[in-house]
Amino acid sequence: MTTVDGRHELDREAERLAYKPPEIRHDKQGDMGSDERINKAMHNFVKNFNTQTASYLDGCLHCGMCADACHFHVRTDDPRYTPIWKIELFKRTYKRQVGPFAFFYRLLGLKRQVTIEDLEEWQHLLYDSCTVCGRCSLVCPMGIDIAGLVSMARHGMFKAGLVPHELHEVAKKAAETGSPLGITPDKFEDRADWMADEHDVEIPMDVDEADVLAVMSSIEIQKYPQSIAATAKILNAAGESWTFRTDGFEATNFGMLSGNPEWQKAASLKLIDAAVKIGAKTLVLPECGHAYMALRWMGANMYGKPLPFKVMHISEYLADALNTGKIKVKKVDKSITYHDPCQVSRRGGATQAARDVLNHLTGDFREMPLGGDYNWCCGGGGGVVTIKRADPLRHRVFKLKMDQVEQTEADELVSSCANCRQSFDDSQQHFGWDYTMGSLMEMVAENLEEDGS
Amino acid sequence: MKRTPTVGEVLRAKGVSRRGFLKYCATTASILALPPSMIPRIAEAIENARRPSVIWLSFQECTGCTESLTRSASPTVEGLIFDTISLDYHHTLQAAAGDQAEAARHAAMVENDGGYLVLVDGSIPTGNPGFSTIAGISNVDMLKETVAGAAAVVAIGSCAAFGGIPGANPNPTGAVSVMDLVTDKPVINVPGCPPIPTVMTAVLAHFLTFGAIPDLDKHGRPMTFFGTTIHDRCYRRPFYEQGKFANTFDDEGAKAGWCLYKLGCKGPTTYNACATAKWNSGTSFPIEAGHPCLGCSEPNFWDAGGFYEPLSTGNFDSGEKLAGAAVAGVALGAVAAAAGRRRQAKFTKEG
Amino acid sequence: MDLLEFAKGPALQVAAYILVAGSIWRLIGILLLKEKPDYSEPRQSAGLLAALKVIYTRSFTAAPFKAATLYPKMLAYVMHIGLFATVFLFVPHIMFFEGFLGIEWPGLPNNIIYLLGVAAVVASFALLVRRLTSPVLKLISNFDDYFSWFVTVLPLITGLMIPVRMGLRYETILAIHILSVALLMIWLPFGKLGHTFLVFVTRGTTGMVFERRGAKT
Repeated sequence: MTTVDGRHELDREAERLAYKPPEIRHDKQGDMGSDERINKAMHNFVKNFNTQTASYLDGCLHCGMCADACHFHVRTDDPRYTPIWKIELFKRTYKRQVGPFAFFYRLLGLKRQVTIEDLEEWQHLLYDSCTVCGRCSLVCPMGIDIAGLVSMARHGMFKAGLVPHELHEVAKKAAETGSPLGITPDKFEDRADWMADEHDVEIPMDVDEADVLAVMSSIEIQKYPQSIAATAKILNAAGESWTFRTDGFEATNFGMLSGNPEWQKAASLKLIDAAVKIGAKTLVLPECGHAYMALRWMGANMYGKPLPFKVMHISEYLADALNTGKIKVKKVDKSITYHDPCQVSRRGGATQAARDVLNHLTGDFREMPLGGDYNWCCGGGGGVVTIKRADPLRHRVFKLKMDQVEQTEADELVSSCANCRQSFDDSQQHFGWDYTMGSLMEMVAENLEEDGS
Repeated sequence: MKRTPTVGEVLRAKGVSRRGFLKYCATTASILALPPSMIPRIAEAIENARRPSVIWLSFQECTGCTESLTRSASPTVEGLIFDTISLDYHHTLQAAAGDQAEAARHAAMVENDGGYLVLVDGSIPTGNPGFSTIAGISNVDMLKETVAGAAAVVAIGSCAAFGGIPGANPNPTGAVSVMDLVTDKPVINVPGCPPIPTVMTAVLAHFLTFGAIPDLDKHGRPMTFFGTTIHDRCYRRPFYEQGKFANTFDDEGAKAGWCLYKLGCKGPTTYNACATAKWNSGTSFPIEAGHPCLGCSEPNFWDAGGFYEPLSTGNFDSGEKLAGAAVAGVALGAVAAAAGRRRQAKFTKEG
Repeated sequence: MDLLEFAKGPALQVAAYILVAGSIWRLIGILLLKEKPDYSEPRQSAGLLAALKVIYTRSFTAAPFKAATLYPKMLAYVMHIGLFATVFLFVPHIMFFEGFLGIEWPGLPNNIIYLLGVAAVVASFALLVRRLTSPVLKLISNFDDYFSWFVTVLPLITGLMIPVRMGLRYETILAIHILSVALLMIWLPFGKLGHTFLVFVTRGTTGMVFERRGAKT
């Protein structure tokens, strides 16, 4: 029996007798003056205030219960990580500029204008310590979608040039080269060819007309290239008329994560245009959480009208293909637990799909405690995994995840999000943890019954 | 001049026994909330008191107060006490009329200058002086003239005390209460429509005993009788707390004698002694007879909402103004939203 | 005009105008802001029914959060139930509503109302202590939170003082009670107490948006 408070780990590494104030880095892009940054932030906060956001920002009771749902607060007890506090500046700007009583707030100076110091401090709160996982949105007695508000508040931060450098760089690279990791169409084609050889699988590329457009995330292309082969195997086995496209392969959307609506729109339109060009009926998104949010739920709004094709997450596609018998899998003789990507399950509504797939794969699917819609986030969503200075915090909250996984005592751990996988890999390395995150899709690909169709 | 007999002498002459007299004194002491040790003092004071001269003025009134005082089934000690006072002028009760009556009033005023009591029932019109006159004298003039040499003034009934029904909205005669006009003499208000007879006599007894006016509340009423509400002393109070109410005058609740709050009982805001002193020689009081308290001893009771409207009913005048407020809300909201949108458009352009 | 007549008449009336105008002002001010159409293909239909569903379901805490939020939630329940009962189930209050609505409904015995009222006051004070001591609440609280607490608790306390009297005259304390209610009515539309009507908008919106996605609400 231990008496150590689980929230506050033993710190054996810190230097003794040394006082080092925590390093607070306020990253700034561009050479705007403070006033200009404040104006940019305010103007781009204001753009987001529609009926929905207004009711949310007007409805908060300051009950503070969202703090109990947030992994950053739960693991640190730092009140600044209270979700609603993270959007304090956004909320204040709403009340001062657009709310029903904005005139009086300005006249009487009841809500002060945000300052550059505020914005600098909130950079840490809006980016480093929020993965937009949306657990807080479920605890709120008023039903306020706080996570959605954080995403919008980031618009102001981005335009004010107040994004953590690494995230900004990644987003910028994505906007300039089409991929956050700088993967050009040629490089994608190269790696697809390599995988086709390596795994002896046919990978259609740039077909002019196809029913299904498959896309990948750069993380997969770079770090987990076997995903390309797995995708191909599955779509081939299902007998789909499908293709990858070099003019629209990147599913991640760092414009959305960093808070630049123009970049977000450009990234989404690229995929949409490619799908429209080949007359696709379905666009299958890869194992990536935020890609699902960006295209499945926000894509049509970027396009300005309903999409002429269906958007499916790969787990949804797999569930559908397995349930209808389009593909068949051998059962694996292992117990498996599943980590829900927040944007696919909790916020995307596709929670059941992965469970259907897993029940085809194993007779021993083990739900984590709090699994499914109330799952703890991997800690790296919302672009947090790219922010190096947030690593200690991210590792700290990962403890919740480790506890959750370990309680299942499952043989295998899988998820359906390359971003989650990346943060799991990193934290696994940091903690020297036993569990290695696997891919649901790869597991299906490995266990396809060849004579299935 | 012939010595006026003391009250004791008069009572004995009328055949009231010593025992009966002391019993009255004990009752008076208890009504006045005085300790029993005060009984001998009351007895002594009343017995030896000179018959005080009383001038009773009736203005805009209905004679109900006089009726209340005189309508006793049998002569009571209270009644006799009134016999013992020298009621030198009361135009309803006195035999004299015309010049004789007015002469009696003037004589009493001169004889007892500085020591007589003026009892007033009815309110006084301040509009046209011709609205109410006695012997060609307007009420205001008569009051002022009579009060000038008085020791104290007792306003009997709600009209004299607070204006009553003549003073109720729209108050066509500009009726006012005694205390509105008499500011340089002590005024005791004994309101009620009509007041309880015992209360009237007890107030006089107090004046005889102590030679001073009793403690008064903020409305000039003797605290002894007007210190607690009907509701607080009501025998139906437990039903109020239990939530047992009569909903109509003939339902089961009414028959069972449940609380009359819903039928408009003003007991909670009405200060009077009805629930304890009761009426008609202690027989009952309105609530006991199944009717809600009207709040007749309170100022402006005619205008304080309907008699049969529950006390908690708000005095809203109409729903139209509320609808107007709603329309104003819509307009303000629309203006606010338009201003918000305009700001958004401006900020969007500025980027 | 004495204090009670002032309270029952003009004070309550003006408060009612402000309550109605202010609430509608705030609602319209929010509802008439631009609305973005959602072109995404819904997973399932979600209209008013979804809104109503979440308006109802968010009244209860989801199981995973029960342990962490048990204490404040319990207090909030006691406070809200007590407040509801004292406002709408106390017979003299029902008579008040009947006075302008024309309908009445069964009430609770006064003694039960007193009990619920006291419980609500106790819970309110416990919530205030929590707000003053919890690091999270200390950080996020502002004037609105404390003032709204004050104007909510005041009518409860003054109302409970009526049967107790505390040395004050019935009509005086009744007048103070009504005036405190008027203050509550005047403040309600403008501060966080607006959640009495905004709760339907926020929960309803979330219901429609998330139910449409088939996501957890």
